[in-house]
Amino acid sequence: MKTKSLWFSPMMVLVVVGFGFFPGASSMAQQKGQPIVIGAPLSTQYLYGWDAQRAMLLAVEEINAKGGVQVGKTRRPFSLEVLDTRDLEPGVPLSEALLVVEKLILEKKADVLMGGPVRSEAALAAMDLIAKHKKVSILTTGSLTPAYHRRVAENYSKYKYLFRITSEAVQLSKEAVDLFESLKQEFGFDQIFIMVQDVAHARAIGDIVGKSLASKGWKVLGTEVYPTGALDYSTGLLKARDQKAQILFVWMDHPEIAILVKQWRDLKIPALPIAGISSAVEQPGGWANTDGAVAYWVASPANAGNAPSNATPLTMKFYDAYKKRWLVEPEGYGTSSSYTAVYVLADAIKRAGSLDSDRLVAALEKTDMVGVYGKIAFDPKSHQVIPSYDPKEGAVGTWFQWQDQKRVVIWPAPIAMGKIRIPPTLSPAK
Amino acid sequence: MLPSLLLYGLINSVILALTALGFSLTYGISRVANFAHGALYVLAGFAAWVFLNRLQMNYYGALALAIIATGVIGVLIYRFALIRVRGMPLLEIIVTFALGTAVLETLRYFGFFGSHYTLPPLFRGSVILFGVPVDRQRVALVVIGGVLVFVLWLLTHHTRIGLAFRAMAQDEQAAMMSGIDSDRMATLSLAFGAALVGLAAVVLLPLSFIATESGAHILVSAIAVCILGGLESPAGVIVASLLIGYAQIFTVAYLGPHYQMIVALFAILITLILKPSGLFGKQKELEERV
Repeated sequence: MKTKSLWFSPMMVLVVVGFGFFPGASSMAQQKGQPIVIGAPLSTQYLYGWDAQRAMLLAVEEINAKGGVQVGKTRRPFSLEVLDTRDLEPGVPLSEALLVVEKLILEKKADVLMGGPVRSEAALAAMDLIAKHKKVSILTTGSLTPAYHRRVAENYSKYKYLFRITSEAVQLSKEAVDLFESLKQEFGFDQIFIMVQDVAHARAIGDIVGKSLASKGWKVLGTEVYPTGALDYSTGLLKARDQKAQILFVWMDHPEIAILVKQWRDLKIPALPIAGISSAVEQPGGWANTDGAVAYWVASPANAGNAPSNATPLTMKFYDAYKKRWLVEPEGYGTSSSYTAVYVLADAIKRAGSLDSDRLVAALEKTDMVGVYGKIAFDPKSHQVIPSYDPKEGAVGTWFQWQDQKRVVIWPAPIAMGKIRIPPTLSPAK
Repeated sequence: MLPSLLLYGLINSVILALTALGFSLTYGISRVANFAHGALYVLAGFAAWVFLNRLQMNYYGALALAIIATGVIGVLIYRFALIRVRGMPLLEIIVTFALGTAVLETLRYFGFFGSHYTLPPLFRGSVILFGVPVDRQRVALVVIGGVLVFVLWLLTHHTRIGLAFRAMAQDEQAAMMSGIDSDRMATLSLAFGAALVGLAAVVLLPLSFIATESGAHILVSAIAVCILGGLESPAGVIVASLLIGYAQIFTVAYLGPHYQMIVALFAILITLILKPSGLFGKQKELEERV
C-alpha cells in the first residue's frame, strides 16, 4: 500500500505540472477517458428486462474492447447504467418507472437512454419526461403500443428524441394474420379461439387479429381476456375444445402462461397453439420449465436473432456470442434489438461527431445499417424501425415452433429453418 | 360444459381451502393474523426447489423437509418477533406483513425470479372424469385436500394437543387457568399454520412455477376465504372455499376471465357489510346481534 502511494506521488506531480505547461491537454485528457453513459431503465427481474440488459452489456463490452466509440477526434468507451423500473411487476405503480428514468437523467447523468420502460403504459408516461430533458431514447424492449410512435409522428418537434428499434403491436398483428393465412392455405384451418392477457398491447392485438381474420372468412370462436397473474385457464381451453377451434391464439407476456401451456397438454386440447410474445414459451428454457408441455407451441420473440436463423450474416454471430457470454441462448424479444441498438447508437454518434441530442437525432434518422435482424432504418416521422419480411429491406420478425426440445424458426419464409408441425391431436382440414 | 364447470369448480375450491387452512388455524388458536402467510408459501416453494435441485435430495424428502422448514420458520416468527407484540392486533399485522415483505424482497435480491423455478408434479398425465379431461396432479390435490381436512379433524378432536388448541380457540384465559401454556400453543399455531401453507405450496406449485409475486395473491385469497367463512372457523374455510371457488369458475365461464379476480374481493366487501364475523365466525357475533 505504501509502495503504491510513493509511486503515485511523483506521477501526480508530473501530471499536474504537465497540464500546467500545456493548457489544452487538461480538457483533452478528461475527454478521452470519459465514458458515454447509456442509461437503461429496465424491469430487470423479468425476462424482458434482463435479456435487454445482458444484450446491451455484451454490445458495450465488444465495442469497448475495440477501443470505444469515435466522438469527433476522441475515442470514448460506453458505460451502462441499469436501474430497475419494476414496471412489469403486478401492483407496482408506474410512478416508480418515471422516478427511475429521472434518476438516470439527473443523477446518473445518462447521455442517452436505451431499453425501456418496458410496460407500454410506463413507456408512454415517460415520453414527456424524456422529451423535457431532451435526451435521446431508443426503446429496445417491452412497449409494443402503436401509440408510442404515433405520438412521435403527431408531435415531432416535442418527441423527436424518441426512437423505437423493436417491433410493435400493429406489425406483430399483421405478421400473425399472415402466418394464419399461410396455415389456412396449407392445412385448411379457419377456426380460431383467442386468449389474451388483460394489458393494453395484448388486448389490442387480440382485437386487431380477431377483426382482421373475421374479415378474411375465419370463424373467430371467442376471445377471452385473462387478468395478469391468472392461475387457471381450464375454462377457456375447454371452451376452445368444445367449439372445435383448430388454432389457439394466445398473447400473454406474464410468466403464468406456463400454466396455460401445461393445461393445454394435460387437457389434450386438439388445437395448434400459437402464442405471440409469451415469456415462458419464448425462453430457451421453455421446454425444461414446462416439462416438455411446450412441444408444438409457436411463439414470436419479435425480432430475428432471438431464435436461431440466418437472417443476416450477423444473426448467428450475435447468437453465438450471446450464448458464449451468458451461457444461455438469446432469451426474449428484447435481446437482439437491445444488442443492435448499442451498435446503431455508436454508428450515429460517430456520424454526428457529438453527443448533442439534436445532432444525434439527425444522425439516427439517417441510420442505414445491417443489424442482427435485417436492415435497420427508422421512419423519419415516427422514429419507428421500418419492418419487412425481407431482411435486406428492413427489420424482420421471427416465429418459431418448439420441435424436439429446440426452437425452430418456421416463419417468415425467407428466414425459416424448418417446417411447422401439427400436433397429433389435430387433423389438417385438407 | 356443466360437468367441466362442476369439476374445475371443485378443484378451484380445494386449492383455495389449501391456501387458507393455515391462516385460519393460526388465527383460530392464537388470534394472530399472520400476514407473512403468502411469503411463507413462496419460501416453502423455493426451499423445496433448493433441496431438490441444489442439494439433490430425494423428491419426497425435499418436499417434506420444505414443509418442516416452513413450520420451523413459523416458530421463529413467533418466538423472536410476535411474542413481543402479542395481544396488540395492529402491531401483529404490521410485524408479520413487514416480515413477509422482507422475505420476498430478500428472495428477489438473491436472484429467485424468473419462470425457471419449477417443481415436478407428484403425478403426471391426465384422466377423463365425467367426460372431462383433468390432469392427475389436480385430482391428487382434491384427494390431498380431503385427507388433510380429515387429519385436522382427528388432530383437533382426538389428541391432547388438538383439544388444547380448541380450548385456546374457545377462551384463552379459561384455557390458561386449566394449565395450558398460551405462548406454547401460539407458537405451535404458527408452526402448524406455516407448515400447512408449506404443504399447500409443494402440492400447488407444480401446477405453475415459483414466483415471489404469488405471495400477495395467496395472502389475499386466504384472507378472502377466512373472512367469508369466519376467521377462526375451519368449517367456515371449507364452505367459503366452495362458495368462492365455484363463484370464480362460473364467473370465468359466463362473465369473462378478467372478472375472476374481483370475486374474492367482492366476497370480502359483502361479508364485512352484512356479517363481519363471517358465515361461521363467533368472534363478533354478539356485537353484531346487539
